[in-house]
Amino acid sequence: MLRRFRLEEPESVAEASELLARLGESAKVYAGGTELLLAMKEGLIQYERLINVKKLKGLSEVAALDGMIKIGALCTHHELEKSSLVQQKLPSLHKLEQNVANVRVRQSGTLGGNLCFAEPHADPGTLLMALGAKLVAEKSSGTREIAAEDFFVDAYETSLQADELLTEIRIPDPTDHSRSAYLKFGYLERPSVGVALAFNLNGGGLSEVKIAVGCAGPAPRRVPEAEALLNGKGREEAERNLAQAGAVAGKASQAITDLHGSQDYKEHIVGVLLKRAFQSAVS
Amino acid sequence: MEFKKEVEILVPREKVWNFIWDVDRFIACVPGCKEAKTIEAGKKYSATMVEKVGPFKVEFPTSIDVLEREELTHIKAQASGADNKIGSRMKVDLDVNLREHADGKTMLGFVATVDILGKLAALGHGIIKRKADQVLDEFAQAVKKRLEGEG
Repeated sequence: MLRRFRLEEPESVAEASELLARLGESAKVYAGGTELLLAMKEGLIQYERLINVKKLKGLSEVAALDGMIKIGALCTHHELEKSSLVQQKLPSLHKLEQNVANVRVRQSGTLGGNLCFAEPHADPGTLLMALGAKLVAEKSSGTREIAAEDFFVDAYETSLQADELLTEIRIPDPTDHSRSAYLKFGYLERPSVGVALAFNLNGGGLSEVKIAVGCAGPAPRRVPEAEALLNGKGREEAERNLAQAGAVAGKASQAITDLHGSQDYKEHIVGVLLKRAFQSAVS
Repeated sequence: MEFKKEVEILVPREKVWNFIWDVDRFIACVPGCKEAKTIEAGKKYSATMVEKVGPFKVEFPTSIDVLEREELTHIKAQASGADNKIGSRMKVDLDVNLREHADGKTMLGFVATVDILGKLAALGHGIIKRKADQVLDEFAQAVKKRLEGEG
């Protein structure tokens, strides 16, 4: 049962930030509510107040601006799967959004909320790391950008300060040479393993390779050691190195043995998904 | 969930043994443990365990029973508690072993069997296991640091 709480309805990000600063741990930002309300109904967390940010203006748009694809943090997964700009510019994110959870979650769950809740088995954070995304954190006194790989601290923990709100996700506008893919695997409701791969491919081979793994461990993470095995290599050499890169990424995933699979199993799946992600990205 | 830890402490075994039974000093090494009380010296204690994973907080009022005690070598204890707000229970079976090494060093080993029941399990076995492992590691290191620091 959902216990009583008071709903605050700020009219600006600054006002929401001031409320967070004033109310501290007794309040939480409420957007789509798909994870927060579930945890509150279960009695796992309790807040005296929820700060409803759904009505804040200007946080639900997708635009291509200044060499970036800018996604408002309040965009729902459904809006992103229906966005022609996302479909055209960021096909891997488009595909990911089509497959987040289920249709009910996609209708009300927001990208920003998904990132801020930092549930270990969430998809978007992993791909955003590989796409080189920056997350915009705002509070009443200023704005800063956080690289996606610096955003996730641990399970359910982000580097957002207590009075900061995530307002925008900025992804570099891909070029004709950009390739990316996100693949996940699981047999329960949430994925056991997610792997994202992005790189530039031209005559000289692969450059700016980014590999991220998620779901297997407490938080998604980039794997520079695996990236180095593919970066600067010709396509064939990169393909030969994929098995080794997959093994390195598997070890780096901090996989935990749980109902989603054993540590060894998850590490193995990381390797399998990386190979498939590569094929998907180049095809 | 079973955890095994072993830590080498550079002080003699007697000192480690006495430290374990000094509730206030010992409790200060258990992460998240507060309000420790001696109900019956050497047999029964109570404490409150507070742990946090992201926004999820649990508070277990815990009772600790010493089941076996073999001077300077072994302690078997059981701790159990319930967080009624969240609807979860915790039980820890703890085996503590002390071995004296040459030149005044002591190996402090413990095996903890931790069971978490109830809604808290919704967080996922992996997350809870990792948290428990972290707590036990921090505890082992804190005991080492404190004892060695005291010279």
